[in-house]
Amino acid sequence: MRALAILTCMLLSPGALANPGSTPTAIAEAASSRWRFAIALGYGLRSNPLIQSDDIPIIVDLDIAWFGDRFFFDNGDVGLTLSDNRMFTLDFVTRVNSERVFFGRTDTQFVSFAADGSTLATPVLLEVPDRDFAVEAGIELLTDGDWGELQLTAFRDVSATHGGYELFVDYAYRWRHDRWVIKPSLGVSYHSRSLNDYYWGVTADEAAESAGALPQYRLQAGINAHARLAAQYIVSKHWSFAAALEYERMNDDAAQSPIVAQRSVRGYFAGMSYRF
Amino acid sequence: MLRILILLGGLLLCCTEARAQSADVPRLNVTPLLCIVDKRAPTCDITFLVQWQSDTVGYYCLFNDFSEAPVRCWTERDSGELNDPREVSETFSYWITDEDTAKRLVAVAIDVLRLDSGDRRRQRRNRHVWDLL
Repeated sequence: MRALAILTCMLLSPGALANPGSTPTAIAEAASSRWRFAIALGYGLRSNPLIQSDDIPIIVDLDIAWFGDRFFFDNGDVGLTLSDNRMFTLDFVTRVNSERVFFGRTDTQFVSFAADGSTLATPVLLEVPDRDFAVEAGIELLTDGDWGELQLTAFRDVSATHGGYELFVDYAYRWRHDRWVIKPSLGVSYHSRSLNDYYWGVTADEAAESAGALPQYRLQAGINAHARLAAQYIVSKHWSFAAALEYERMNDDAAQSPIVAQRSVRGYFAGMSYRF
Repeated sequence: MLRILILLGGLLLCCTEARAQSADVPRLNVTPLLCIVDKRAPTCDITFLVQWQSDTVGYYCLFNDFSEAPVRCWTERDSGELNDPREVSETFSYWITDEDTAKRLVAVAIDVLRLDSGDRRRQRRNRHVWDLL
């Protein structure tokens, strides 16, 4: 809460706000559209690490964003630019933690074995515990140069859902050869104990409800690692072929959770993209 | 009945006129039609291949946005071809005229696609489960 109070003071302080009219970003933006709207049609999948779950198909990928001098909307994220200069851009951002999506694609099944491998006296109906979307707010630092692009973020739950926070760093480098654009990136994210425990833990109540199929499981903080490879072939000013591969390795505690069946989350997508 | 006949006659005349006009319009092809720029390569050094063809032999000139003077003119010709080396950083057009150089008979735009907008926020990575691009 104290961090939020400090952030609020920063936002309300006129001196803390950037003066976009004097920045290179604002000058460049004045000449271009503030809107970004694109649609990609193709096929992709994101694996679901949960037990008794279905992978998440991706057929349509929408990109809707608006970038003003100070405020911006970027596919559900709402931001306020605090500072923008030659070295870096600092934003205050609110977002929805989308890990809840995994929990929306689970099945209910009868199981005869407990998570520890022991046989249950009678089969029990096992349902993966439900989780909620969390609204998170935080700070995002963006910087770039000839060496690549760096994104650092710190987000905290402001919806009293998981009560935790996440620190995230991602480095990306873009190559272009004629019409081909290749962008690999990698990074790590630190998940606080509360965040990790809320999504991947099993509470005592949930363990009791599962009639022994799920043991109670509590998590500590952990670090996830991720890598990504995006490729694009530009066909025309509006059309391009786009493909992406993504891999995220979950932290040890999350990977060993009784509700987790796969240590990693893998994703891919390939399709045609139209940018308006 | 008379009104309908007049209307049909008018339509026929109008369509014939339109067809005659489209037949007179030269065809203009330019390759490539796209220039891609970014921070590391802020301009495109391209040799554009410009080709035109007309159904009518005559006097034609090729213009572009870089100069008020024509790039080249052809006399008593119904087609032409030109290699035009350019350093490009902005969208521009080629167009063909006849003797009346103020009137563009046909034009083709060369698009410039900027991969870097200058706004870092446009490069930020979203981490939503449903978003892979």
